[in-house]
Amino acid sequence: MGMRRTTTTDTTTTDGGGMDGGGDGGGMGGMGGACYIYPAAPATPGLTNADVTFNLGIDMQIPLTMDDGNTVNMWGFTDGGGNMGMDGGGMGGGTFPSPAMRVTEGDIVHSNLNVGMMWVHTIHHHGIEPEYRSDGVGHLSHDVANGTYTYQWRPAHAGTYFYHCHTNTVLHAEMGMYGALIVDPPEGAGTLFSGGPSYDVEAFWVVDEIDSSWHNLPWDAGTCGGDVGLNELNPDYFVITGVDGSGNSAMNLPPISATVQRGQKLLARYICAGYHPQKIRFGGLSGKIYASDGRPLPKPVSVTEIRAASAERYDIIFEPTERGTYLIETDIIHWVTGEVLGTTRTSITVT
Amino acid sequence: MDKRIDRRTFLKFSSAGIASALLGSTGLLSWIPRAEAATISQTFYITEGFITQPDGVDVYFRGYSPSTNNLTVPGAQMIVQEGDTVRITIVNTLGTSHSFKIDGVVDSGRIYGGQTKTIEFQVNKAGTYMYYDARNAPYNRLVGLHGGFAVMPKGSSNEVYDGSPTFVQQHFWLFHDIDPVWHNSIRNRRTPGTTYSPRYFTINGLSGRPPGSTGNGDPSVDAMHDPLSALHGHVGDRTLLRVLNAGMCQQSVHTHGNHMDWLTDNGQIRDDIWSKDCIYLEGNMGKFDAIFPFDPPPDAHPPVSTGVYPMHLHTEMSQTAGGGLYMFGALTDIFFE
Ligand SMILES: [Cu+2]
Ligand SMILES: [Cu+2]
Repeated sequence: MGMRRTTTTDTTTTDGGGMDGGGDGGGMGGMGGACYIYPAAPATPGLTNADVTFNLGIDMQIPLTMDDGNTVNMWGFTDGGGNMGMDGGGMGGGTFPSPAMRVTEGDIVHSNLNVGMMWVHTIHHHGIEPEYRSDGVGHLSHDVANGTYTYQWRPAHAGTYFYHCHTNTVLHAEMGMYGALIVDPPEGAGTLFSGGPSYDVEAFWVVDEIDSSWHNLPWDAGTCGGDVGLNELNPDYFVITGVDGSGNSAMNLPPISATVQRGQKLLARYICAGYHPQKIRFGGLSGKIYASDGRPLPKPVSVTEIRAASAERYDIIFEPTERGTYLIETDIIHWVTGEVLGTTRTSITVT
Repeated sequence: MDKRIDRRTFLKFSSAGIASALLGSTGLLSWIPRAEAATISQTFYITEGFITQPDGVDVYFRGYSPSTNNLTVPGAQMIVQEGDTVRITIVNTLGTSHSFKIDGVVDSGRIYGGQTKTIEFQVNKAGTYMYYDARNAPYNRLVGLHGGFAVMPKGSSNEVYDGSPTFVQQHFWLFHDIDPVWHNSIRNRRTPGTTYSPRYFTINGLSGRPPGSTGNGDPSVDAMHDPLSALHGHVGDRTLLRVLNAGMCQQSVHTHGNHMDWLTDNGQIRDDIWSKDCIYLEGNMGKFDAIFPFDPPPDAHPPVSTGVYPMHLHTEMSQTAGGGLYMFGALTDIFFE
């Protein structure tokens, strides 16, 4: 699930892009009538050589087949390539979720986002706090259009993050434009953070809800006004790390599910990738939260379930002592009523 | 019925018995501690009217307003000190009954239409509170009768509670979500009978107006530039966020640029302070306190100490208005100066 990365030193040249705009003009017009977007692809301030480079494109035609046989269209970032702003008809090579980024604390990282002429997008590395023009927030810098922009960042804290598009975010993140972002400490994978716990096995629980009625909207839906229903997310599918989680599809599918031996340590990286709140339950297992939102907790906390709000991350270490299969269930809970809208399922098997 | 709308005023009490509307030129709050407890007097007029939403729709509200011919939502922010006596006079200009309540502190009981009632109470516990109309719950609160209320520890200018991590400035972030169908039912003195469907989302009564839109940069309509909401600071200007939720929706409060130090949760001091970029805010009067530290953004290369970042709710439906208009919801900006 990882993204190809260039680890050789590589200064990326950004092309200037053809589109005028910048963060101050913006507003009406352009891009087929989209509003309040700020298309540009300028040079990155302070661009230096990178330790790690990711090249990302855009794919707006990613079919996701659900357990009921229905297919929902997703959008995503591609590992290179992408359908370049043309109607790619599913040829963009994108996946849901988008490929994971994995870097080491202290790396200078370039995320090169190439966007074609037909739409605009950005990358916000959620939880990473870079120079503001590398933050991916259009109204404060620019949205990327018709060119390549290099987001430059240097993660200071190991932990679990994710990256997502921040253009018309309400729609683009719901459409699946996100991927995991893992920052390993200098010790490397196998240690959560310097001075923190080690782990033998790793699981990724990225839980999200999908309202398929949003999934035929254009990329700029609602930006100029008009009621396109983006205030109401009424999900009909519930996914975990890109797989329909309501049935058995993710029950035995590493690295969503995990198998550990007694005496081994499992790290679960849980990302609340939906908008409605969630509650994750560990099927009788007790785990310890060592970090949240990419920061170690002052004291680890033992839990059997966690309540999470949108975009929170929790890093949980399990050291199971009893053989068995444990059901990991995440309820997606309506933000007003508290009603459980759906549940995703996976498992931990202890041998 | 329509009234000229002054959204809200800001009241600060820095000496005995004197209430003055004050907003520094930068919009930063300051607090001058007092050795002596004071009596703080404030009059609120319960009024009604319409507030125009970002998509042009006028929505009915009631508010705790500073005069009879004004509608202010939310009501003025109040900051008092432990030991103070607070004397609130409510002038109910409407025909409906209302109240003034702070959970665990005071409840005026029923204030009939046309009635004026004065309540007096002492504040003894530092913290962040909401004052609101508890009658006809939650409807009177939802239709606009709510405001932020803070009690500073006695003699302290820089703590949330005795011994808390310190700050140099403080802001209320009072979030709200608005279903105009419900507001209209309340206007017509009917109990809302429809499923709650919020269409507008505000912070301190305002919603975003992104660059290029009418009202962008106007602090009276643009939450991104409202001095009560937007944060301005230099590196080291630790900023207390008193976060309150008058609405129904559970939210995820997300800052860019820095993580927040999460100090309290629904009035409880947390066992440990976690550093979070998203904090769970419960609906129906959930609250927390956090400090935005104004540390240099840690992941910038080369290092920086200036820039501008957003605060937005990650429950992204709340970033919309009228079912679209992304960025016209509950968000503001954070300026590293
Ligand atoms: Cu996008
Ligand atoms: Cu995010």
